[in-house]
Amino acid sequence: MHFDPLITIALGATALSAILLLWYLIRRPLLTRGTKIVLLFGIGLLPLTTAGTGNVAGYQAMKTRKFCTASCHVMTPYGIDSSNPESLGLAARHGRNEAFGTENCYTCHADYGMFGTITTKIGGLRHVYEYTFNFHQLSLDEALPKIHIVKPFPNATCIRCHSTENPLWKKIGDHASTLVEIRANTLSCASAGCHGAAHPFSHEIHERAKAGAK
Amino acid sequence: MRRLLRFSALLTLVALALMVWSMFDPTPLPVMIAMTVAQGLGTLAFGLYGYVIVQDLRLGRRDKRTRRDSLTGIPVIPDEKAGPKT
Repeated sequence: MHFDPLITIALGATALSAILLLWYLIRRPLLTRGTKIVLLFGIGLLPLTTAGTGNVAGYQAMKTRKFCTASCHVMTPYGIDSSNPESLGLAARHGRNEAFGTENCYTCHADYGMFGTITTKIGGLRHVYEYTFNFHQLSLDEALPKIHIVKPFPNATCIRCHSTENPLWKKIGDHASTLVEIRANTLSCASAGCHGAAHPFSHEIHERAKAGAK
Repeated sequence: MRRLLRFSALLTLVALALMVWSMFDPTPLPVMIAMTVAQGLGTLAFGLYGYVIVQDLRLGRRDKRTRRDSLTGIPVIPDEKAGPKT
C-alpha cells in the first residue's frame, strides 16, 4: 500500500477513536460531562473523519486498473492487455500515457457530465451484479465471448481529450473527411479501419465466436 | 442507559474495523461493505449515543428542578407531560 495522506488521516482517526472507546469500555467511568465529550469524539467526530476520508480513499482506489481487473477473474485479461507495453490496442496505448496511467479503465469507461460520477457508480454496481450472478462461476474461456460493452463506446469520451479542433488532428485526411460523422457519433473512433478495437484480443474472441455460431 | 452506550461503543469499533479493512484491501466486497454496512453501523451507534445523551440531559434537568423546588419549600409538582394518573 503506497503512502496516501487520506488513508493516514483515516487510520489516525480510527486509532484515536479506538483508544477512547476501549478506555470507556474497560474503565467504565461515570457519565460525567467529560465522559460525554470523550464519547462525542470516540463515537461521533473521529469515526466521521474516518468515514469521510475513507470514502474518498475508496473512490480513488475504485478508479485504479488493479481494482477493475484484479478483483474479477473475467477482467484479468483486459488488465494484462491494458498494461502490456507491447500491446498496440487503444487501451494499452492510453495506459502508457501518463495522463491515464493506472487509471486508464476508469478514464475511458466513466460517464462524464454533471451526473457522470453517479451514473458511472450505478454502472459499477451493475458490473458487481453481473459478475456475482452471471460470470463468477464461468471459466475465462466461457466468459470472454459473453462479455460485451453495454452500449457503444461514445466518441464524446475520445473528444474530451482529442477535441477534433486541433489543426494537426484535422490535417489527417481520414479525420478531415469523417469529421461530421465523428462529431455526430455515427462513426466510432474505435471501429475497424479507424483506430480499431480498444481491446484487440477481446475483439478477436468475439469474431471467432460469431464465425463459430455461423 | 450505560448498557446502551457500551453497545454503541462496540458498534462503533465494529464499523471502524470494517472501514479499515476496505483501506487495506480495496477490492469490491470490502469497499462496498465499508460504504454500506459500516456506515450504517456507525450512524446507528451515533444515533444511540445522541439518544442516551438527550435522555441523560432530560433526567439531569428534572433532578435539578426537583432539588430546587424542594429547597425553596414548594411542593413538587408532578410532570405535566405524564398526565393525570388514573
